[in-house]
Amino acid sequence: MLSQFVFFTCLSLFLMFADTRFEIAKTLRSSIATVLAPVNRVLSMPGSFVNNAAIYFESQATLKESEQALKQKLLLQSQRASQVEVLGSENAHLRKLLKLQSNLATPSQAAQVLYAVSDPYSRKVVIDKGSNSNIALGSPVMDAEGIIGQVVRVYPLSSEVALLIDNEQATPVLNVRTGIRSVMYGRPGANTDTLELRFVSGTADVQAGDELTTSGMDGVYPAGLAVAKIDKVERRTDSAFAKITCQAKANLGNVKHVMVLQPTTSIIPNIMHDASQGADGKKGTKK
Amino acid sequence: MIMPRGQEQLLLPVSGWFLWGSLLTALVLNMLPVGPVAWLPDWVALFLAFWAMHQPQKVGLGVAMIFGLLVDVQQATLLGQHALVYCCLVLAVLLLRRRLVWYSLVSQATQLLPLFALAHVFLMLMQLLGDATFPGYTLILAPLLEAVVWPIISILLLAPQRRTPERDVTRPL
Repeated sequence: MLSQFVFFTCLSLFLMFADTRFEIAKTLRSSIATVLAPVNRVLSMPGSFVNNAAIYFESQATLKESEQALKQKLLLQSQRASQVEVLGSENAHLRKLLKLQSNLATPSQAAQVLYAVSDPYSRKVVIDKGSNSNIALGSPVMDAEGIIGQVVRVYPLSSEVALLIDNEQATPVLNVRTGIRSVMYGRPGANTDTLELRFVSGTADVQAGDELTTSGMDGVYPAGLAVAKIDKVERRTDSAFAKITCQAKANLGNVKHVMVLQPTTSIIPNIMHDASQGADGKKGTKK
Repeated sequence: MIMPRGQEQLLLPVSGWFLWGSLLTALVLNMLPVGPVAWLPDWVALFLAFWAMHQPQKVGLGVAMIFGLLVDVQQATLLGQHALVYCCLVLAVLLLRRRLVWYSLVSQATQLLPLFALAHVFLMLMQLLGDATFPGYTLILAPLLEAVVWPIISILLLAPQRRTPERDVTRPL
């Protein structure tokens, strides 16, 4: 029994080590995930059924109310949409004049959230599309309100999405009002999960209520998608940086339908490859 | 044969279907889409501990390892993390089982409580090493709930083995 225990302990320690480094752990992972996928699909059914039933039994008054609100929203949106068309053509024209590369349209596909991962130490959701539907590693994921996160693992029939508030999930953002770029980090907490902008100078022009969009500097997120709004700015005398907390646009606690976008440049594997090569090169020089 | 005190009768052999079915049910309970809730009991750990105590020939370290890997993939944690914790828990139960079966269900639960708590602490330490944040004090409730559920689980899972060996039509159960 003890020899068995030592064997299994070593095996699990090896797997923990291999999980981030070797291909074999990935294969094991995705085969287990593929076995579990149908069960997850069945388990997510009662949830959607309850939702549908709730919608069915919703009173007429609330429906009317929400319809009114939606109509108003549509009115505003259509006004903006017509402006966007004009602006778009104008922009294209100006870009042509400046000989700038035109913005690429990002291909996207809709997906449904199967479940939120129940591990209390992370904030991830699993969606019902995987490598079978050509979901790429690193793809940005958004819902109707804005960016919700990024695909961090792809299985054949499902993929894992790290939400903005997942541990150390970094999102490059742009302050729309001032045009200052920074990186937003997530941190899951005991009671509330925080989103913060780190390393922004204490004297920088940042105000509560500033809108943050993706900056498009990373080659992953397309530029200009809504991400968050600045909630609170604390300028402290004991630190050179301000403590800036943000509020995500999307309701990250309750995501159901999402859009998976293609990474703007599908260069992530290349970057990783280059990085690992660079690391090897460093080791080589040390020897 | 000396019978353990809590057990008034000789039990029937366990049905394989029931044993594996119950473990899979525990896995499904762990897979329910409830989101990140720290205080929920770990059903797989609970059921593995139970069967390791009552059927050590059938459920041992290998089974703990496999179920641990399944939970790891489901919860998107580092592969092998839950597997290691379940192996440790099952080993502890296997070492203690000869003594534990002599106690009543409630005292079994109180003696298992530190083991369940250690399992959660072990998981937490591994996560904190990976630079995670503390999920909140509600985490304390998880091992407590596991210990509270232990007697109920024990009665339910041993019920099929307490039936009469021959079916008697005049008996209600």
